[in-house]
Amino acid sequence: MTSLKVFIVARTIALIPTVLILVTLVFFIMRVLPGDPVIAIVGMKAPMERVIELKKELGLIDEKGDEIPLIIQYFNYLGRLVQGDLGKSLIWGKRPVIVEIMEHLPATIELAIVGFIVSIVIGIILGTLGASKGGKANSAVKIYSAIAYALFIPWIGMMFQLVFSVWLKILPVGGRIGVGLEPPTYTGLYIIDSLVSGRIDSLISSLRHITLPAVTLGLVISGVFSRVTRASVEEVLRQDFVVAARARGLSEYKIMLHVLKNSFIPILTMMGLQLALLMTGAVLTETTFSWPGMGTFLLERIQYRDYTTVQGTVVFFAIIVALMNLIVDICYAYIDPRIRY
Amino acid sequence: MNTFRPILTKLVPRIPLTTIGIAGLLMVLLVISMAIFADFLTPYDPTKSVGLSLQPPSLQYPFGTNKVGQDMWSRTVHGARTMLIVVALSTVISIVIGVPLGLISGYVGGLLDRVLTMVMDAIYAFPSLILAIAIAAALGPGIINTAISIAVVYVPTYFRMVRGQTLNVKSQLYVEAAVAIGAKQTSILLKYIFPNVIFVVIAVFTLSVADVVLTEAALSFFGLSVPAPTPDWGFDLRAGHPYLVSGYWWLVTFPGLMIIILAVGFTLLGESISEYLGLREVKV
Amino acid sequence: MSEKLLRISSLKTYYFSRKSVIKAVDDVSLEISRGEMVGLVGESGSGKSTLGLSIVKLVPPPGKIIDGRIILDGKDILKLSDKELRKIRGKRIGMIFQDPLTCLDPLRRIGDQIVETILTHLRIDKEDAREIAMKTLERVGIPSDRIDNYPHQLSGGMRQRAMIAMSIALDPELLIADEPTTALDVVVQSRIMDLLEDLRTERNMSILLITHDLALVIERSNRVVIMYGGKVCEIGLVKDIAEDPLHPYTKLLLQSIPDIEKIKTELKPIPGSPPDMRNPPPGCRFWPRCPYTLERCKDTEPNLTIIEGRVVACHLYRG
Repeated sequence: MTSLKVFIVARTIALIPTVLILVTLVFFIMRVLPGDPVIAIVGMKAPMERVIELKKELGLIDEKGDEIPLIIQYFNYLGRLVQGDLGKSLIWGKRPVIVEIMEHLPATIELAIVGFIVSIVIGIILGTLGASKGGKANSAVKIYSAIAYALFIPWIGMMFQLVFSVWLKILPVGGRIGVGLEPPTYTGLYIIDSLVSGRIDSLISSLRHITLPAVTLGLVISGVFSRVTRASVEEVLRQDFVVAARARGLSEYKIMLHVLKNSFIPILTMMGLQLALLMTGAVLTETTFSWPGMGTFLLERIQYRDYTTVQGTVVFFAIIVALMNLIVDICYAYIDPRIRY
Repeated sequence: MNTFRPILTKLVPRIPLTTIGIAGLLMVLLVISMAIFADFLTPYDPTKSVGLSLQPPSLQYPFGTNKVGQDMWSRTVHGARTMLIVVALSTVISIVIGVPLGLISGYVGGLLDRVLTMVMDAIYAFPSLILAIAIAAALGPGIINTAISIAVVYVPTYFRMVRGQTLNVKSQLYVEAAVAIGAKQTSILLKYIFPNVIFVVIAVFTLSVADVVLTEAALSFFGLSVPAPTPDWGFDLRAGHPYLVSGYWWLVTFPGLMIIILAVGFTLLGESISEYLGLREVKV
Repeated sequence: MSEKLLRISSLKTYYFSRKSVIKAVDDVSLEISRGEMVGLVGESGSGKSTLGLSIVKLVPPPGKIIDGRIILDGKDILKLSDKELRKIRGKRIGMIFQDPLTCLDPLRRIGDQIVETILTHLRIDKEDAREIAMKTLERVGIPSDRIDNYPHQLSGGMRQRAMIAMSIALDPELLIADEPTTALDVVVQSRIMDLLEDLRTERNMSILLITHDLALVIERSNRVVIMYGGKVCEIGLVKDIAEDPLHPYTKLLLQSIPDIEKIKTELKPIPGSPPDMRNPPPGCRFWPRCPYTLERCKDTEPNLTIIEGRVVACHLYRG
């Protein structure tokens, strides 16, 4: 197991330059690009004192009113970032960005997890069916895998809203939970919190609310999984150990479990690669279903030109995605005993 | 379908399209012809109010009208133009930046190569839409700004592929032959690498164009793309969304359908072409 | 004559593609007695492996058993349901293959794979199954502390032993061994063969040894079945075949064996190449390569006939 530890440390160190580059990129995009953010926020006619005050808060000028060089601003920013300070919002009572992110993060995590589960279930079922049945079923799964990703999330979501919320009226059109039904906070994930606190009404409400967004997100991402599952299962089914297992009298169900386990490494790798796609999808899904997560939050703050929050949120996304990739790498090493030797 | 195939395979020489590829091609051609013949196909100015607010589809307004009384058919058809212009522009920008950088990085090597590769890899690993959102938000609305925001996301893809090909050609060809006969370095670069670059550009374009379409649609759905009243599918999707709850289904259905037709069309076509070119491993 | 365990009669297993039919096993009959080791010898493509897979009804698609009977202890395997078949596979008929590395699930410990096989067939608890697995491993010469190893942690010979352990854990009556030693070096090869021979004598197990190596069969088995182009061309006791081969193909096979003292003729490879099974020659399938071709060989297929107690399919001999 020590080799696994070494592996984890090495991968973690390799993350640092990637994150640093993205942080730098986002910093300069936000600072160098045209348009004075300060004027944009306070307005052209704002009094000079107000502008100076804001500039001080943003770290653009020092106590004496002299402009701080961009490069110093950059290192100051990095210094604060290392301490976990993503800056303060320009509006909304100047709350720390990290606090606001933490308020919206659980909603996104909940949606992403459920959507991810939906996509994996759809993808693995379709992919396994295609590979084991062959023929027309196989071709159909191939086409599905190709086009699923091209199904524009907001439109699919709106069609679901139209059918299930507007016409059939069986599911809510948007939001995360019914008014006043929020369960007490333990994890911030409503489904889990309502289970823990035994609030059946909250559980039902949050499940009803998450169904359409999660299915929309899951459907669009599932194509990647049905593609890789199909290819991987097809390959494993050709291996000798499948015939050998049949020759020992194992049931087809048991054999399929072994096949799936052996097909799992490519599927897992694909899961890791899809985390970025999942984030992208979540942003689109959230805005379509008024889901109060990171995506809705980010776009709302863009409209208010709250650029410290926008910058902080984007940087946060970069760190999250990098961390998730790290976790996937570790899982990968853990599942396949051959990697550790 | 069979009667179509000979004609279409003649139109697209040397690429034997599968049935799926032909279906994709037809979908893309549909959108392209909408963009080209938009003025003939539509009776109204897509930016002007031409009828009553929120009229359902009828003979006069095949796709209905929106809140401000614009004809949705006209807007949907003209929206093809906006979309294709942004797709073309952003592709050109990605190529103009990504290809030379890839060439230089692969050819010169050393520290420059390492730094560039690291930067490109970092951008590549980041969720593309969120990066595009950040840039678009900083730049403000407009067709060119949207194209730039999208282009930045795809620069690393072109860069990586061109760099890889350059390294390949460099190690294979010129060291052995061209340098020995004393050819000038720049002419070597052009002569041997150019054909490979064309191949790479086609390959990356084929595999990424559907994604470009979806990114444009997303940016305009977020209100970060073209300003009103430019006809744009994503914009109309956003504008019509609040009325969906009241049952005004036509406002979002048709623009959204167009996005999907174009994205699926490009995907199927790309699938067919990349299978032919053997691009399986080159996943964008 | 001892009791017959397996009787295959007029078995036909064909592979169907869009353009052609490959008659991989074409009208083959053979019998295996209890406690007997039968060597099934042929070149690659002769249909010997397909025959082996047919016995457990595991011919991979597009292959299909189209006719014949496979009687195991009085019951026709081909008429059994999938469920009944699964009860026979691994329990009454064990199977080992050429490459143990690809035939073992790479992601699971060998012990778990054996235990799984045992639990598939016996209603016992996991601890008892593990006990049996350990004993079986020791029986095939693997220290029982290796039970929790993964396949990649074992040597080639060990892996084949593990594969054998997996196949014999439930004491099958018949063991089908398809090229069990081909992937191994000579020393390991002879140890594995010793192991198979011990199993045969101790457990009265019948073994069908499928191989291209006639020398190995002559050294180890009781009877030999020679296959060529999907057909059986000669069946006989090892002694008869080794000292007085009848079929020209058998003769050539014997001459191609490098180091058998009994054979004095010099080493000769068989001229020509195996038949194209999509389009086999008319008449006897061996005639294009046969040194003794008669006119009738080219149009009439010879049948297996009994000549003075020997069984051969060749026009050179008439009953």
